[in-house]
Amino acid sequence: MDSLHATGFYASAGISLAGAVGVALLPRRGLRGAAMAAVGVGLAGVYLSLSAGFVAAVALVCYAGCALLVASPRYRPLEGVVGPLWRQVGAIGAAALLGVLAYSAFRGDFVHASFYGGAFGAANLGRLLFAHNAVSTEAVAVLVLIAFAGATAAWRVRERTR
Amino acid sequence: MTVSLVAVFFVAAGLIAAGAFAAAWRRDLTAALAGVPLMFAGVGVAFAGIARFAAAGGPQLFGQEFAVVLAIAATALVSLGLGIAGREGPR
Repeated sequence: MDSLHATGFYASAGISLAGAVGVALLPRRGLRGAAMAAVGVGLAGVYLSLSAGFVAAVALVCYAGCALLVASPRYRPLEGVVGPLWRQVGAIGAAALLGVLAYSAFRGDFVHASFYGGAFGAANLGRLLFAHNAVSTEAVAVLVLIAFAGATAAWRVRERTR
Repeated sequence: MTVSLVAVFFVAAGLIAAGAFAAAWRRDLTAALAGVPLMFAGVGVAFAGIARFAAAGGPQLFGQEFAVVLAIAATALVSLGLGIAGREGPR
């Protein structure tokens, strides 16, 4: 990987991580949606610098959709029943998780292999998704269809009961 | 300047931890739901990094395939969660 790709990787990783912190901490929906869009842009840059151009395109579209959903003013806030003590315990658990994953990452450089794919990878991914793993692709498609249909049905039912 | 598998794993760890923090810290459940795609993004980055740096055996990009599936599943999960939360009425 040359220096230009490396610079792109680190810049995109910074954008993505800053957006993730924004999603976790920003107060309003619109700001959280913008932060989620920044996560998507940074994620696409990371994938591009990892020679995964097709994944970058898919991630950009999917996280733009997530950003629009998160920023939408048309869903109700649902207050959780978890007390502040358990929220603090969860935050400490997230910090501990970061420590464990960082240690695992630090020890993760024990294997190297040559990369044979191209810069975009659409042809190889297409062979995998629609020939080699066609059944699992269809299973995921059915699950996504059920999720979208369930979301639409739940949305409509809540609207009618009001 | 170069990129290695360790750097990719550090980015993935940061995304996963930020998502877990958002899911645990947010009082509003619909805001906590936004942590799920962050965690999925971290896992996808780790898989794409493994496909780029550590997966031998030819042009079989299983890590990239899994990253595609994770991105689509994250969108579907957020859509389902916000659909269950329900539409806010006019006030």
